Amino acid sequence: MAKVQSSGATAAVQAEGLVKHYATKKEVIEAVRGVDLRVETGEVFGFLGPNGAGKSTTVRMLTTLLSITSGSAFVAGVDVARDPDEARRRMGVALQEAGLDARQTGRELLVLQGRLFDMSPSDASARADELLALVELEEAADRRIKGYSGGMKRRLDLASALVHEPDVLFLDEPTTGLDPASRLTVWDELRRINTRGTTIFLTTQYLEEADQLCDRIAIIDGGLIVREGTPAQLKAELRERRGLATDPTLDDVFLDATGRTRVAGDVQEVSR
Amino acid sequence: MTQAWVLGQRALREAWRTPEALLPTLFIPLFFLVVNVGQAARIFPSKSTSFLHGQGYGAFQLPSSLLLAASFGSAALFLVEEIEGGYFDKLRATPIPRTAIVLGRLISEGVKGVFMASALVVLGLIFGIRIASGPLGFVLLVGLAALWAVVFSGFMQAIALKTRSAAATNSAGLIFFPLLFLTPNFVPRNLLTRPMEIAATVNPVTYVMEALRSLILEDLVWSKILYGFGVATALGVVMLALNVRLIRHYD
Repeated sequence: MAKVQSSGATAAVQAEGLVKHYATKKEVIEAVRGVDLRVETGEVFGFLGPNGAGKSTTVRMLTTLLSITSGSAFVAGVDVARDPDEARRRMGVALQEAGLDARQTGRELLVLQGRLFDMSPSDASARADELLALVELEEAADRRIKGYSGGMKRRLDLASALVHEPDVLFLDEPTTGLDPASRLTVWDELRRINTRGTTIFLTTQYLEEADQLCDRIAIIDGGLIVREGTPAQLKAELRERRGLATDPTLDDVFLDATGRTRVAGDVQEVSR
Repeated sequence: MTQAWVLGQRALREAWRTPEALLPTLFIPLFFLVVNVGQAARIFPSKSTSFLHGQGYGAFQLPSSLLLAASFGSAALFLVEEIEGGYFDKLRATPIPRTAIVLGRLISEGVKGVFMASALVVLGLIFGIRIASGPLGFVLLVGLAALWAVVFSGFMQAIALKTRSAAATNSAGLIFFPLLFLTPNFVPRNLLTRPMEIAATVNPVTYVMEALRSLILEDLVWSKILYGFGVATALGVVMLALNVRLIRHYD
């Protein structure tokens, strides 16, 4: 992984008291209830949580796609609420379900993305060539995206998030729905991108993925961060607290943190 | 504006690559033109019907078909598809003005409107319709039809942004039919019954239709032309403002 900058420098991502409420006709839903986060420059940071825990809502607030009810969020030192356009220049975003325009070709999509980040047509074209080589999609570059496989779409989505060389890359479940081989390819891409100095903030449902890729992780449940640390720290803490004879897995940490437990092979929720 | 144009070019490529969405917008208005003329042409013979100014009933009906074609834009449905597929968020995550995102598709609808209107008018010319206002009238005719395409696409796009639903957006498009039938669609306004005349007078589509009709049947009658352009421009400004407001508050 890339060298992580010390905590004294500007954080790649910083959130304080981040809150998101949705008002419906009947009630106010508290999707995120006060998230504090600090991701150092160069880190691969994993953001985990069960479905509906507030992961995607938090990412959408950090990426300027959702308004913030209260609290503050900074990406690469830029306040996402006060200066969203500058924050957008500093971050790349690849959300769930590779958001691509299926009627364009891979090359057209990347060139368009470059143009939207103020590149000249020739610069955008050159950058598209570079990225197509990086994600190994040169051969498919001039085919319509609707014919791409799930793995190819994911890699193209990653490439489009990198067009403007962002400081921070946000990935929301980058490997959901991919076969194991495609998942390993995406992992390799992410390692390569991180080695070049890009901070990666990723959400995932796959704990093995977090264990393999992330320098640090945070687990969110019920709109609040319930655990934060390196995978090794979190496992050690659980082993010590539970007095376990062997090292727990990240799955055990996750189940413990989210109030669920294994019973005869099933996962069940327990009261806290 | 550069970014809006770049997005407009993308929307045009999209339209070119989905002829199945484009062809009905030409075919259905032509179908209505043929059916309406077939049903009413004998009631209004050109020699004895003063409001036809010596032309056939097809010339009187052509504006309805132009407006119908201009109101079949697919921009809003493609937008809903993009919202559902996630590409809309990808665009929102770029540092371009929010206005550019909504303008891109409207620019494309304007360009498509020019082509559709030109095709319909040329087909009309082949079947004997004359543009009495001359070459300038032809340009104004196509321009006004294209402007209406932008206005109605703006309305549909606003519904798409508000509801994010293909079904709701599709249904909203049907509002054009009552609006079209509350115009002097078959006869001039002074020949309508009093209730229909009142309805047509308060219906903004009437003024656009009357401007289009005057360009086909008469010489350049600036009072009618300016009324038509004025109404369409005012509605266009309202729709653009609504779109910009909706995308700025989009969560």
